[in-house]
Amino acid sequence: MKEILKLGIILFLFCAIGSGVLAFVNKMTKDKIAENKKKTEADARKEVLPNVTFDGPFTADAGKPDSLQYFIGKDQKGAIVGYTFIASGRGYSSTVRTMVAADQAFQILKIKVIDQNETPGLGANSSKDNFPPRFEKMGISDLVVDKDGGKIKSITGSTITTRAITKSIRNALTVLKGAVETTPKQVAPTEKLVASGGSL
Amino acid sequence: MNLLKEFTKGFVKENPTFVLVLGMCPTLATTTSLKNALGMGIAATFVLVCSNMIISLIKNVTPSNIRIPIYVVVIAAFVSIVDMAMAAYTPPLYKALGIFIPLIVVNCIILGRAEAFAGKYGFFPSAADGLGMGLGFTLALSVISTIRELLGTGQIYGMDVLPKSYIASPMLAAVLVPGAFFTLGFLMALVKILRKEV
Repeated sequence: MKEILKLGIILFLFCAIGSGVLAFVNKMTKDKIAENKKKTEADARKEVLPNVTFDGPFTADAGKPDSLQYFIGKDQKGAIVGYTFIASGRGYSSTVRTMVAADQAFQILKIKVIDQNETPGLGANSSKDNFPPRFEKMGISDLVVDKDGGKIKSITGSTITTRAITKSIRNALTVLKGAVETTPKQVAPTEKLVASGGSL
Repeated sequence: MNLLKEFTKGFVKENPTFVLVLGMCPTLATTTSLKNALGMGIAATFVLVCSNMIISLIKNVTPSNIRIPIYVVVIAAFVSIVDMAMAAYTPPLYKALGIFIPLIVVNCIILGRAEAFAGKYGFFPSAADGLGMGLGFTLALSVISTIRELLGTGQIYGMDVLPKSYIASPMLAAVLVPGAFFTLGFLMALVKILRKEV
């Protein structure tokens, strides 16, 4: 009994020191990490919808499992040019996150895969330059992979990845459309919906 | 204790992948391309050297009955620190290596070397052992991934190597799961022949 107690205390001490060090490092780094993440997303946002100023984030379907954060891009006169959001879906071996810009008719302007770890040579080709143009000018009803009778040309040997990206964008776009059409047209900047915690 | 010997044994004589058969899970999972393999290898080497050093330092205060849980705590804590520090201060490096960091926790080479070596020997031999084993692991991953990437996509490190006609319809199985087992099996057999065990 005494031996067990002694070992238990030693193990506890190791764990306590370990947790203490981790808590300290976490405190030191968490702001910086959040800042880096925001910057990466902001850069991607500018890339898919250039030359606009962004309003947001707004949250569509807040509190529901399919809630979506989006930004409204406006030109110099304040007219809405389009929307940007991050669609994420489960691919073949990773969660694929895609930055999407859509216009007011909810047609896709441009997309960029910002995060994926799919099979190299197959699904990972979704990060190559020849992939995003396949989505341009597509509306919600077009967003189905060609194998399933839609308009999105899938990557050879990676229908699963293409399907995941296509489906995640279609779902997000549907949520966005629902949210934008039910909110009053004129949203004063002060009435901005506050982001409900964690960014998507 | 010959430091050079501890350093070089990991390359071929006691190669962690081909001879000790440690860390098979990350080996199979990350050898789909040379880039991934190098990322995994470098990240694992770094953690291995550091965890070996820390464990050799605390070996006198570690009761032998509970050494394994203590090693696990040290390794897991260390990996988390590396993960957070990289995410905060070297975002480009984190983007390239970040996905491998959580995989290192379950890499049994780290725990294996802590148990077999660092828990028994001093600081410098343990560091040499960790570095040698880590580089041996990286070398093994690079060889496997080069073969798989070349056969499976016709590329090496993302650059086209084989003729266009091959790239258009490569042997896809090589980058998929079966390719990992085949390549690993053939290379293990080759190493066995080279070591004159067969």
